[in-house]
Amino acid sequence: MLSPERLALPDYEYLAQRHVLTYMEDAVCQLLENKEDISQYGVARFFTEYFNSVCQGTHILFREFSFIQATPHNRASFLRAFWKCFRTVGKNGDLLTMREYHCLLQLLCPDFPLELTQKAARIVLMDDAMDCLMSFSDFLFAFQIQFYYSEFLESVAAIYQDLLAGKNPNTVIVPTSSSGQHRQRPPLGEASVLEGVEASLFSQCLENLCDRHKYSCPPPALVKEVLSNVQRLTFYGFLVALSKHHGINQALGALPDKGDLMHDPAMDEELERL
Amino acid sequence: MIPGKYRSVSGRAANNVNCGLHLVIQTSSLPEKSKVEFKLNKETPSFSGRLLQHDLERNYSSRQGDGRVISPSPCNKSSFISSTTNVTELCGLEMKTTMSSLSAFGDSSIQTPSKSRIRQGCHSAGPNVSGDHIHLASSSMPSFPILQRSSEEKILYSDRLTLERQKLTVCPIIDGEEHLRLLNFQHNFITRIQNISNLQRLIFLDLYDNQIEEISGLSTLRSLRVLLLGKNRIKQISNLENLKSLDVLDLHGNQITKIENVSHLCDLRVLNLARNLLSHVDNLNGLDSLTELNLRHNQITFVRDVDNLPCLQRLFLSFNNISTFESVCCLADSSSLSDITFDGNPIAQESWYKHTILQNMMQLRQLDMKRVTEEERRMASVVAKKEEEKKRESHKQSLLKEKKRLTINNVARKWDLQQHRIPNIAPNQDRKVSDSSQDPSQLHGSTVSAFPEETGSLDSGLANALQGLSVTDTHLVEVDGDTLSLYGSGALESLDRNWSVQTAGMVTTVSFTFIEFDEIVQVLPKLKIKFPNSLHLKFKETNLVMLQQFNALAQLRRVDQLTIDPQGNPVVNFTLWKYYVLFRLSHFSMQKINGTEVTQNDMIMAERLFGILAHVASSELPQYRMISILGDARKKQFRYLLETKGKKPGLVNEENNDSKRLVGENTNRAMLNYTTRDVYNERLEEIKEKKKFCKMYMEDLVKEATEINMKNEALQKLWPQMFIELVRDAVIEIRNKNSYMKLCLQQITDQK
Repeated sequence: MLSPERLALPDYEYLAQRHVLTYMEDAVCQLLENKEDISQYGVARFFTEYFNSVCQGTHILFREFSFIQATPHNRASFLRAFWKCFRTVGKNGDLLTMREYHCLLQLLCPDFPLELTQKAARIVLMDDAMDCLMSFSDFLFAFQIQFYYSEFLESVAAIYQDLLAGKNPNTVIVPTSSSGQHRQRPPLGEASVLEGVEASLFSQCLENLCDRHKYSCPPPALVKEVLSNVQRLTFYGFLVALSKHHGINQALGALPDKGDLMHDPAMDEELERL
Repeated sequence: MIPGKYRSVSGRAANNVNCGLHLVIQTSSLPEKSKVEFKLNKETPSFSGRLLQHDLERNYSSRQGDGRVISPSPCNKSSFISSTTNVTELCGLEMKTTMSSLSAFGDSSIQTPSKSRIRQGCHSAGPNVSGDHIHLASSSMPSFPILQRSSEEKILYSDRLTLERQKLTVCPIIDGEEHLRLLNFQHNFITRIQNISNLQRLIFLDLYDNQIEEISGLSTLRSLRVLLLGKNRIKQISNLENLKSLDVLDLHGNQITKIENVSHLCDLRVLNLARNLLSHVDNLNGLDSLTELNLRHNQITFVRDVDNLPCLQRLFLSFNNISTFESVCCLADSSSLSDITFDGNPIAQESWYKHTILQNMMQLRQLDMKRVTEEERRMASVVAKKEEEKKRESHKQSLLKEKKRLTINNVARKWDLQQHRIPNIAPNQDRKVSDSSQDPSQLHGSTVSAFPEETGSLDSGLANALQGLSVTDTHLVEVDGDTLSLYGSGALESLDRNWSVQTAGMVTTVSFTFIEFDEIVQVLPKLKIKFPNSLHLKFKETNLVMLQQFNALAQLRRVDQLTIDPQGNPVVNFTLWKYYVLFRLSHFSMQKINGTEVTQNDMIMAERLFGILAHVASSELPQYRMISILGDARKKQFRYLLETKGKKPGLVNEENNDSKRLVGENTNRAMLNYTTRDVYNERLEEIKEKKKFCKMYMEDLVKEATEINMKNEALQKLWPQMFIELVRDAVIEIRNKNSYMKLCLQQITDQK
């Protein structure tokens, strides 16, 4: 019942870190919102139902964006809901534009920001082809990475830019890191000729980032694996690799494997009934 | 008086009955107020035939050809008193000259006898006159013959002299005949008017059918009243300055190109300019007595100044080149005109000819020699009224159209400004302008029907329509048949008006242009109430960008057709929008989207694509969320649903379906609704506030709880030691039994 981490933190921080507070606050908030109706069928029942829905991941349906992105669990739930609801669109083989995907997202979350969708689309498409059509699976996996790890990716982007500019991000971000190791690496001049940054150096920086990052980030081992396959890579190259990595998808746990993306027998059954 | 007489004459002529023909020369200028009357009663068939011919010529010369030129020709053996024929030629006017001073000039003397006598003379080859009674001798001047009559002749016909068909090439010198009143030179070859200046008492001068090229030599003939110069070669009207008493002037069959030098002829009653080369009519000022003007067989294209002729009663314009009423519109201003002809003009071929003429010339009694009946006049006025109305209507229509176009342009400009589209798309704007200029024509296919006023009354009157089309600068509302068109967001306010039941019932199509969809959403409930029959919704330039916006339409009562113009509605570019509409608005079972029939396959596809969304929304949404999403209006039904949920599944399904029908909308779709951006943001603000409170509340609670927990934990830690201590204390206390007992006893007694 008592996890070892529990003892490492004061109660309050522990609850906050585990997002328990978020849900409790939200529960009370929901209760406030509909107090007349809820009081009719029981506050206790409401709380049961609320936390049940949190467990099932249905609590994010049609909620405001600030809530949906509040916790990793919410994000995963939203990804799953999105997949579940619009899997049929992908199954039908329709290719849609970024804006149309955005509209679908907005059906589930009315104030979903366009910016996020754009970023996700940029992983799939080239910068100058943002109006192109995308397949459902391409978009979904790119969107998953972008949405779930959005803070992490922002940090990565900053590191990437620093590397590209020839700065050693480690001196900024982690002053105590083993800079000696870096000195033996080929000079960065070579990197500037080629596109992107050197993979191993990038990997090093990301490892440090994952250690310190307070938001969720992909499993460091998997990030390492992604980066170990190539010599050099660009930022978007990295994102594409992340989005296509089924291990990361599994670790995230919101969506099925790419191969099974179109399968959802339970829902198909429901659909048949309709 | 005169017109009546005239009519009877022409009527008789047409009927080929005997004709009374009078030329009345009224000489009011004469001091003794003399009246000369020639009454010519022609019973002879040949003459009536001739007259008939003249009348026919005037009335029906389209059939007859140039009758006049032929009829008086010398080959006609039985040509009668040429003067009289000429008089008829003039106008078929009764010639009645009364002269009180000339008692001898009575009816008997002038009528048939004189005619027959002259006729006789004519019959014996003209010289009858010259042979017996008239003697033509060479004068002292070599070129001019001198005419002398015998004294008997002079006594018999003291005041007239006929020199008809004498093959004269010049005018003879007429001596000793100063008292002559009537002089006839018909059918000669005279080229110049000469040698008559001494005949100062001359009243009647007939030079018909000669070869005169210029009017001259008449300056002394101040008494002249009738001047007949028909069938000559005159090119110009001139030298009539002194003939102030002229009553009849016949210049037909000449080569005159314009009317001039006649403005002093204030006594002129009859002017014949038929068969000349006139291209237009003007310069008619001063002819204050003119009652008849013959202008047939010219090339007249327009007529002016006729309204300056106060006495004009008959105007003959047959066989000219008049093609529009505008070119003769001055006729409408003449109050005296009672008889007019236009036959043989292009205008007479027009369908509007008769009623236009009659409508504009109410004073007319005869048109093209036919009596204008009351019926015709009424018809004309009806037709004209209709025409006028039509014209006014079309004018108003075009005015409205223009106004509408401008307004729409204005609204479009405002809209563009609002959408921040102006600066970067100048050509685009042009396109827009042209687009919107097309719009009205499309929308205006039918007439603008009545539009209720604020009072709500329905009136199909034009004024109302004009007023109804409430055009302001920022918006436009229009009811066109069954279509209500709204341009600009201001137009939405019109839904607050009291629409008449009829109009509201008639409107089946509602079209929105240049209005934010979010604004439209706010008035949808009103629309539902005010226009219950609206089945077809049209959106153009309404900023429809999201699929979820269609959710808002679900609240309407019925929608059969939906038209979303791609212009200004990016949502139409989506692949799935139609299916989403079909899915979300499936309870309307729509028939057409953007003009395309909805097929069964479309419906199935829509369900397949979005069915899961609906299922998830209905089955997986926690109840507390459902409650907050569904509006109060739906809560009742929802509660019903909730209650049935607990029952057997099979039963539930059926009842579910029932209630679905009851609600008219799939409840599983009801979760998918649309709140406009503003409302949503407002709600987010509210939630923020609540969240803030909740956060504080929770913080306090959690803090309290953790504190309790901490205390509890601390207690838990201390408790074993405390317990041991407590036990030890107790044991020590009771170890000495006696002293303890004493102590207890002591305590009890103390209490007492």
